[in-house]
Amino acid sequence: MKHHLFIFSFNKVRVFFKTILLFFLFSVVVYPVYILVSGKFPYKQFTPNLSYIVGSYGHMYSRTKEVKNITSPIDILFLGSSHAYRGFDPRNFSQYKTFNLGSSSQTPIQTKVLLNRYLDKLNPSLIVYEVYPGTIEGDGVESAIDIVSNDVNDFESIKMSFKLNSVKVYNTLLFAYFVEVFGTFEKFNESIVKDDDTYIQGGYVEKKIKYYKKQTNLKRENNWQLNQVCMNDFSDIIKSIKSKNIKLMLVYAPISSQQYHSYKNNVFIDSVMNSYGVPYYNFNQQVLLDDSLDFYDPTHLNQKGVNKFNAKLNDLFMNALHKK
Amino acid sequence: MLFNSLNFAIFLPIVFLLYWFVTGKNFKWQNVLLFVVSYFFYACWDWRFMFLLMFSTLLDFFTGLKMQNVKHHNQKRFWFWLSIIINLGFLGIFKYYNFFAQSFADSLAHLGWHVNPWTLKVILPVGISFYTFHGLSYVIDIYYNRIKAEKNFIEYAVFVSFFPLLVAGPIERATHLLPQIKRERSFDYLKAVDGLRQILWGLFKKIVIADNCAEYANMAFNNVDDHSGFSLLLGALFFTFQIYGDFSGYSDIALGTARLFGIELLQNFSFPYFSRDIAEFWRRWHISLSSWFRDYVYFPLGGSKGGMLMKVRNTFIIFLVSGFWHGANWTFVFWGALNAFYFLPLLLTNNNRNNLSIVAQGKLLPTVKEFFQMTITFMLTIIAWIFFRAENMTHALQIIGKIFSPSLFSISMPYITQTLRLAPLLAFFILVEWLGREDKFAIEKFGFKWHRFLRWMFYLFIIFLLALFMKTNETPFIYFQF
Repeated sequence: MKHHLFIFSFNKVRVFFKTILLFFLFSVVVYPVYILVSGKFPYKQFTPNLSYIVGSYGHMYSRTKEVKNITSPIDILFLGSSHAYRGFDPRNFSQYKTFNLGSSSQTPIQTKVLLNRYLDKLNPSLIVYEVYPGTIEGDGVESAIDIVSNDVNDFESIKMSFKLNSVKVYNTLLFAYFVEVFGTFEKFNESIVKDDDTYIQGGYVEKKIKYYKKQTNLKRENNWQLNQVCMNDFSDIIKSIKSKNIKLMLVYAPISSQQYHSYKNNVFIDSVMNSYGVPYYNFNQQVLLDDSLDFYDPTHLNQKGVNKFNAKLNDLFMNALHKK
Repeated sequence: MLFNSLNFAIFLPIVFLLYWFVTGKNFKWQNVLLFVVSYFFYACWDWRFMFLLMFSTLLDFFTGLKMQNVKHHNQKRFWFWLSIIINLGFLGIFKYYNFFAQSFADSLAHLGWHVNPWTLKVILPVGISFYTFHGLSYVIDIYYNRIKAEKNFIEYAVFVSFFPLLVAGPIERATHLLPQIKRERSFDYLKAVDGLRQILWGLFKKIVIADNCAEYANMAFNNVDDHSGFSLLLGALFFTFQIYGDFSGYSDIALGTARLFGIELLQNFSFPYFSRDIAEFWRRWHISLSSWFRDYVYFPLGGSKGGMLMKVRNTFIIFLVSGFWHGANWTFVFWGALNAFYFLPLLLTNNNRNNLSIVAQGKLLPTVKEFFQMTITFMLTIIAWIFFRAENMTHALQIIGKIFSPSLFSISMPYITQTLRLAPLLAFFILVEWLGREDKFAIEKFGFKWHRFLRWMFYLFIIFLLALFMKTNETPFIYFQF
């Protein structure tokens, strides 16, 4: 009797699994349709985990479009977050052929994707990697979405989405594939000037001159918390660049003094960056800047600040590129 | 391990497969498996408290046997009170000691004596209020000869620690759950599919409704000074949906999960926001707790057998105890008292059992009168939830004060614009709940007459909404803290 009951249950459980499998197959076909329809919905606040915005803040679309047209090796490649694409102005390094692959909130996870995509093509003599600790703290989701929405997606995008394991990245990537398949991605035309931003050839974004109004009550109470997944990718990036015999320089671009000193563990960050055996420069200690005159917000230089910062960099580049 | 976590999504299928394919031949082995995985499930929070759970289970198991085997009533009474005192003692120490110590110190401070009370630095063991009540009902039922003591420890332990209900209920009864654990269970395809549907709807309530409403409720409750009375009222409305989505969502997932294992748990919610008066609301909200207090506190106190004064006294006791059960804070006690005050007019006019049927049964829409009654009841619950959510009484009264002030008519556009994205979700949620209000859960029979393709489209649409609105972080259920 017991055995019969078991057989009975066993067969029913099999039917149950068959139904689940069928529903799964049904989902594989129909779910993308839901994504396609909702991705077209113009009001993004109603689709929080599907955030495909081509031509988003930071001109990433123009940057990836430009990088694809580069045909010969470059001298310097800039990597990092908005501190990179708003901090290294190619007009200040006119003696070199440079390109800026920075993107908004770019964590090492995204840096790795971009390097895997473009490093061999660009073949730079020197890589300048901007290492603002704030980007090594983040989960990388917003930056991943920026790249997924503004670059052609390949297997690197899939690897990145699995690494982040975020439903927001999965949904956006799925929609991005639709956009690419239907050919609308290529047809997009990003304006060179958007609000206060102007895209400068070479990947730089110039902000209309503005000045930072200092906060009155910023206390020294924060600590940078480095994300382990990001740190692992950071180590991989350094190893990979070293293995290709490309010169590498880690640069911590200046942030406002007030913001910088609100963190208690700056010395720790410097020691971490110095531990990789590559030149590291923390420009928060090296360039004399004024919070009210050289920044437009707590962490970004305005054009005056960029020019001062870049002048200091030129000497370093000279040494790095002409030293055997 | 949260129900809305990836870990649980892996854990559940593994246990399901082991249960039906490996131990399926013998229900005793199935029970051993449920016992082991339930303790594993509990240990995922904090393995140290597993020993407390085990101790509580052993205590009630042995006192149950002792009560049944002793010859003299005095001995029976001894074992009964031993179990009650130890059970409530643990609950008191872990949950209420600090509250009483602090309240005592505060009272002395009012008299001018300042003392620093000795407080315990312990975290509340998750689910302690729930499994303690399981054990208490078992011991009380044996004491009053309603049930026989369980002789098989594993079966009793599964009754107390069955993982779907272990951390936040429903609060089961030995009379209901133990017989199911003690008999062979065969897999029922329809029940299992029904269970999956209930899990899906529970996840929707938690992940889409509760977690998203929480964002805006927190915004309002955490920054009272920055919000107008209107925004605070809106924040309270969001909390009203949050608490329902969170707790009834949890209960749906628990019931659905249990059904996958061939076990039926007690229904915990029955569309409480469609109630026409507060008495009906309390027949539909956290049913397993309300009925527990009714059976083990209200009836022993005399219930409604005495005069009106006794009825009122007992009603107040029930609501106050129920409030206090939720947590060691005066806000919960006041929340209970406020509900008792809401209940009072119905009790005094003998109208507390007017609305026993489902609202607008068999009809698409309610009558104007029913709609008006539901709206009033809903508004009353919103006000009561403010006390439930507030950090302390001062915080609650500050919110209430601002709501009932001219700033109620000051509309804060940024907050409203932000919250607008929830409007279609809440509309969908209310619509589905309304259409399914005659069933055990909203989508139990939703679309049963449709073609399978359409029905599956609907289920997938709910999954799609989960994926579209889920928060990056897994958010714990509110009732875990109780």
